[in-house]
Formats: sequence, C-alpha cells, structure tokens
Amino acid sequence: MPDSGYPWPIETTRLDNGLRVVVSEDRTAPAVAVNLWYDVGSRHEPQGQTGFAHLFEHLMFEGSVNVAKTEHMKLVQGAGGSLNATTNPDRTNYFETMPAEHLELALWLEADRMGGLVPALTQETLDNQRDVVKNERRQRYENVPYGDAWLRLLPLLYPPGHPYHHATIGSMEDLNAADLATFQAFHATYYAPNNAVLTVVGDASATEVFALADKYFGAIPARPEIPPAPDGSVVPGGRPAVETVTADVPAPRVFVAHRTHPFGSAGYHVVTVLATVLGSGRGSRLYQRLADGERLAQPDLVGAYGVDLAHAPAPLIVTATARPGVSAERLSAGLSDVVDELATVPVTAAELDRAKALLSTAWWRQLSTVDGRADLLGRYATQFGDPARLADQLPALLAVTSEQIAEVAAEVLTAADRVTLTYLPEETS
Amino acid sequence: MTLIVDRPGPGPARPYRFPQVVRRTVAGGQVVAAHLPGQNLAVALLLLDAGAEREPTGKEGLGAVLAKALEEGTAQRDATAYALAIEALGTDLVIGLDWDSFQVSVQVPVDRLAAAVELLAEAVRTPKLDPDDVRRVRDDEATALRMDWANPGPRADAALRADLFGADNRWGRPMYGDPESVAALDVEDVTVFHSEWFIRPGTLVVAGDLERVDLDALGAAAFAGTGGGPVGRGAPIAVTPRDGRRIILVDRPGSVQSTLRLGHPAPHRAHPDHVPMTLAGTVLGGAFTSRLNHLIREVRGYTYGIRGEFGTSRRFGRFAVSSGVQTAVTAPALVEAVGEISRTQETGVTEDELAVARSWRAGQLSVELQSPRAIAAALTTLVVHDLPDDYHARLRESLLAADVAQVSAAAAEHLHPGSLTLVVEGDAALIRDELAAAGLGEIV
Repeated sequence: MPDSGYPWPIETTRLDNGLRVVVSEDRTAPAVAVNLWYDVGSRHEPQGQTGFAHLFEHLMFEGSVNVAKTEHMKLVQGAGGSLNATTNPDRTNYFETMPAEHLELALWLEADRMGGLVPALTQETLDNQRDVVKNERRQRYENVPYGDAWLRLLPLLYPPGHPYHHATIGSMEDLNAADLATFQAFHATYYAPNNAVLTVVGDASATEVFALADKYFGAIPARPEIPPAPDGSVVPGGRPAVETVTADVPAPRVFVAHRTHPFGSAGYHVVTVLATVLGSGRGSRLYQRLADGERLAQPDLVGAYGVDLAHAPAPLIVTATARPGVSAERLSAGLSDVVDELATVPVTAAELDRAKALLSTAWWRQLSTVDGRADLLGRYATQFGDPARLADQLPALLAVTSEQIAEVAAEVLTAADRVTLTYLPEETS
Repeated sequence: MTLIVDRPGPGPARPYRFPQVVRRTVAGGQVVAAHLPGQNLAVALLLLDAGAEREPTGKEGLGAVLAKALEEGTAQRDATAYALAIEALGTDLVIGLDWDSFQVSVQVPVDRLAAAVELLAEAVRTPKLDPDDVRRVRDDEATALRMDWANPGPRADAALRADLFGADNRWGRPMYGDPESVAALDVEDVTVFHSEWFIRPGTLVVAGDLERVDLDALGAAAFAGTGGGPVGRGAPIAVTPRDGRRIILVDRPGSVQSTLRLGHPAPHRAHPDHVPMTLAGTVLGGAFTSRLNHLIREVRGYTYGIRGEFGTSRRFGRFAVSSGVQTAVTAPALVEAVGEISRTQETGVTEDELAVARSWRAGQLSVELQSPRAIAAALTTLVVHDLPDDYHARLRESLLAADVAQVSAAAAEHLHPGSLTLVVEGDAALIRDELAAAGLGEIV
C-alpha cells in the first residue's frame, strides 16, 4: 500500500479575485469531477433564519443570468453528468461528474451561478423550493421513527447562540418566514470567489483547468469583507444533559453523545479510531458486549461515529436499540458502561489493528472515484488552507495508539459531560 | 456583465471503454474479472443462484436469515473469531439479495484480497449453522424487519407487489419477506436452503488490479468443496394488466406525508424493447429532469422527489412510481402523476426530452462505473443476464441510437395508466374522502 494517503498529483493556484483552484489529474477514465466548496453553512445563520443556507442551496439549481430556470439540471444530465449539492453546519458543496469533454460546460454553469444568481431569483422560485424543502423535512425528519434524533441532539450538545445549536434543515417557522431579499443578500454576502474553492479531479490537466477557471470565474469580483460565523470553538462543558422522548417508535433507542475535538485536529484523529473500535462491525466493543454478549441490543442497530465538523468540538454519537423485552434503562446503562470502559480498559493490539484496517478500506473506497477525491481536496483546501494535507490523514489515523485512545476517552467522554437521548415507545392499548 | 454569456460546446469526445473482461473456468466454477490498473482497492463477489425467487412461497426471508447465519461461526472458528479475522483485513461480508441472485462480497486493499476470499468462502461453504444460533438470528431478523416496517414504505411496497403479482406467488410477496414470514421459519428451512443452493460453485466476480491478483488461486478458494451444476430457470412470467385502476389505502395514522407507490406489470429484462422502455421511463420519471419530478416537485412543490421507472428481473418486470407527498395534497398529486403517465402513453416523448435522457443514460456509463464496487456490479449484470463482454459498449450505442418513434412506441405499448394500482400509505382518516372523490379508481 502506498505510504501517502493521496498518491495522485495536486496542483493549486489562486485567481486574482481570490478563488482557489485545486487540480488533481488522473487519466484513468474519461470523466472529470468538478466540485465547489463555499465556506458558508448553517453555522452562519442568525436566530430566526435557521434552514436558510440549505434552502439557498436549492435556489442555486433554479437558473442564473445566462441559464434559464430548469436548464441547469437539463444541461448537466443532457451531457451525461451526475450532479448534486449538500449543506451542513460548516459549508455548502456543489458538484458534478461529467464525461471529460463537458468540463467547460460545468465550469460555465458554476461560474454563472456564482456570479449571476441574484438577477434570476424570483418569488415564485423561492415559494416553490420552500415547499420542496418543507417536504424534505417531513420526509427525512418528521415522518420516520427516531427521525428527529439529530434535531434533538444538537441543542443538547451546543448551547443557544452556538453556531451548531440548530440543525441545518431549520425550523418550519423560519422557513415560512424566509423572504426574497434575505436570499439576495445571502448570495451577495457569501457566494464570492474569495469564499470558495474550485476543485477539478480526473481527465484534465492543471494548465487547462487553471486557464478555464480564469476564463469563466476570473471576472467575478471578490467581496472585500465576508462576515465570519460566530466563534464556537469553546463550548462550556461539565453539564450532563438528559432527554427522554415518548413517540411512535417500535423499540426503545438510546443515543449517547459527547463533544470531542474539531475535525482535522490530532484529537479528532484519535476519536475517529476510537469510534471504529467502539462501534464499527461485529468485532466492535458495542457489538461484542451489547448485541452478542449480553444481548441487550439489536445486532444491526448498534453504532458509533464522529460527525466531521471542523469549527467546534465535534460530536461523537453512540447508539443502540433495545431487543424485545429489554428496558431502556438497562440498555442505557449497558451503553454507558461500554463508553466508560474506553478510558479504563485498554484497547488491545487486535482491536486497534481491526479498526485501522477498516479505516484504510474506507479511505481507499472514498478515493476510488474522482468525485470522492474532489470533495476531500475541496474540504482540506477550505478548512485547513492546503489540499495536500489530505495525504496526511490516513497516516495520522494509522499512527493512533491505545494510550492516546484512553487519554482522549478520559478527557472527553466523561459521564459528567454526557448527553443522553432516549426514545420510548408509546403505550399501546 | 462580467460573466461569459455563451454556453461552451463540448470538447473532443473521449470514448469510454469498459475495463477488459477476463473469464476463466477454475475448479468447476466461473471467474469473471475486470482489470483496473493502479487501483488500490479490490472487490471480490461470489454470485450464487439463490435469489429470492428460489425461496419457496411461504418461506420469504430465508436468504436473509441464512446470510446472517453465515457469520455465526464456521467449521473452523466461532462467530467472534470470524468477525475479528475478516475485519482485521479491513472488510466485512457485504450481502446483496435480489430476485435473481444472492451476492456476498468483500472489499479490501488489493494485497489482502486472497485472504478475504478465503474467509468469504469459509462462511458461505462451511457455516456452522448451529440450531440455537439459527433460531436467534431468525428472531433478530424478524425484529429488524418489524423495525424497518415501522418506516413508511415497506407496507406500501408489499401491498403493490401483492396486487400486481398475487400473494400466492413468491414474486407477489416482499423480496426480503415480512416480520411474520421470517418469524415462522425453522432451522431446517435454513439448512436445507443452504445445502440446496450454497454449495453449488456459482461465479466469482473480481474487480481490481489483476496484475496484483491471482485469479486461479481466488477461484480455487471460492469453489473448493463445491458440487452440483446450474439449475434451470422458469420461463418469463406473463402478467396481464388488470382492467381499470384501483386504490389501496394503507393506514398510517399521524403521518405528515402520504407515501405513494403506483405501478403495473411490465416485461422482463430480456424483452427486446428493454432500451426504448428504459428511455421512456427516464423521460417520464427516471431522472431529476423527468416529467413527473418537474411537475410534482419543481412546479407544484408537493414533494421532495418523485421517481418512476421500469424495474426488470429475469422472469418479470413492472413499472413503478414512488414518492412521499404532503398529506394535504395527496389527491392532487395522484391526479397529476396519473395525468403525466397517461400523457406519456398517449403522445410519447419529444426529441428535446429524449436527447437529455439518452445522453444521460449513456454518459452515466462512464461517470458511474469508476469504483471497484461499481465495476463488480456491472460484471454481475453480465453474468445474471447472460450478456456478452462488450455489452456496455453496445448498450451505449443502442441508447444513443434510439429515436423518438421507437421510444414513443415503447411508451404506448408498455405504459398502462388505466391499469395502475395506486397504493397510498398515509393518514386514512384525513385522505380517504378526498381520494374517493378524485375519480382515480375504486378504493379496495
């Protein structure tokens, strides 16, 4: 296996207007991934405007000065491409993977909506996409058992006023109140070339991409001052939070959550390995102890994962669902015990090797496509100022020791600092 | 204006080539592989003729329970030791089960592929199948299905399938079974299904850098101790669309959305109209730019998304539309969806729409076939449907060559808006009267 976590070339430049451009050439297949990271997410949303960054993402597909309504999707799909966008607390990303001969079309489309969205934005479009997003909220969070767990965990983890206090999907009340002028201002404020990273991976050379980037994006003016999100780097701890919800769910489910370290920090590397030891696969501690051993938990529904957020101590979420006849209290106690033991029962060499092998495969799986690579390069350029730092990520994970896991567990997974969210089924007659 | 006004045209076309396919007979089984030079990751997938259609009627979910039982220990080691051994290689056993096949695969850095295939074969060919373990796994699977069926969707899917194909047929029942069918399985069902279908050699699919892989060794490991030949399959099942539309209401009190499943029977995979049918389905509901998504999402705002397409397996197929719409607009959303299906059936597609559909389907062959996992899935398609090595190249050509007349004819022939079953899973107390008044069909 290569020593580096990224055995492909990386070339970068910065246009005069501040747009950073990252290129990683790979001629294996005639496909090219184009990816824009904008350094704006739901952490930038003020009170009363929750859900706006994500609703705005929807508006970016509805036309711009030279692209008619509905034409964006049609042009990309009509060129054979795949496309999407996502919004999270940290950032908004837009991406398409195209047959390589359509690279220029993708850049033209992205430039047009970066530089020319506002004149094409209409009340009708806003009203329509507001309805779409409200249906997205119903479908993903409201109409499924346990679907609102993330909406409940965030305010338990982060206090009011913290940029991660509210969920990216926003509240129905705020979405209903969204007006056109706010979105016009949102674009003017954040969708500037100096607040974005353009990454192109695949069947294209850096020279070609740099020239095309300058041609299409070069004349978009920089915005001199982009207001930062509120600082969330320090979160007051030492206060366990407990919430119990009785809802229409088929079995008790418990979530244990902690604030850990920001994504990208040495501490978060340790948390990533720790979460894999704890909750990934049948060899994990949760599976062995709760699903197989004591048989408290449903085997397919135990897990632990870090949420990759970079601007504040990131959450670690641990979850289990009760087997029939097992009470929520018993499951919760069992789950807490296994988490507590991360600080007291040393992780063995076999546990560590297992976790690192699974993480290595996950790493190469993400890098096996040009779009997977483009998104990671854009992330490292945006959040750490250097896409090449991506190559250090895998070696850093593989260097984590058992002692570090015990130290980090003792530091950030204490019961005094624990969030516990429990779902109980409604009494049935 | 600072932006470039004129939309750029394409650069010189760069032809896509599906990776070189290697086929070999090893130790009584078939190896089908694709060479991915320089790829660090590799996938090996054992393809068995043990899909849901091989499960006896009344024993739905047998394959899924057996899949779980495979990991409960082997002739050589117990469940925990097995989990630690395979996960130490960086993979788990990934199970795929559809109507036509049972697939179990591993995904690892290429230098660990041989060891991973040995462990895969150990679980598939020599599982312990201890009766207590099998019963426990069965109970867990029944609970898992009960949890899953608490989500919107599975009950509606089951209602549609039963109505299209008849619940007295295996293919009229849920592919993975339901909580009751799984709970009723006994140990012997599982051990018999294993001995019947899991010790035939099958096909080993490999996607990776073949210069770093010994295919003969992989095949020898995968097929060791196997016996028995292929078993014939039944002929395609012709299902006549029913006369008249009907509505099936599945009550989900308190639901803030109605889950829609609309469908009717359609031809099987090998039907000569496969390509024009696929394109007609793409224009109607298979892409973001489709007629259904445009109207129901982008114009009306009734939904986060709606999809419709022809789904085909070896012996049968169906046209199906799925969506979730806000409860208050359930009836208008259904009326408009049925309207678009009818319009497409009656008047066909336009050249503008077809141009997008054919370029998109053809382009996806280069854009989506990148990872070893995706290539392995493409090889699996070749094996399951007896397709030649140059299938993907030919498919691209036939997609690009399909014209408006062919695709419109396929829509006219294979869409049956008057025969649709409309399954609505939602808050019946809120929507029943409106559905009855919509004139779409009788509520049964």
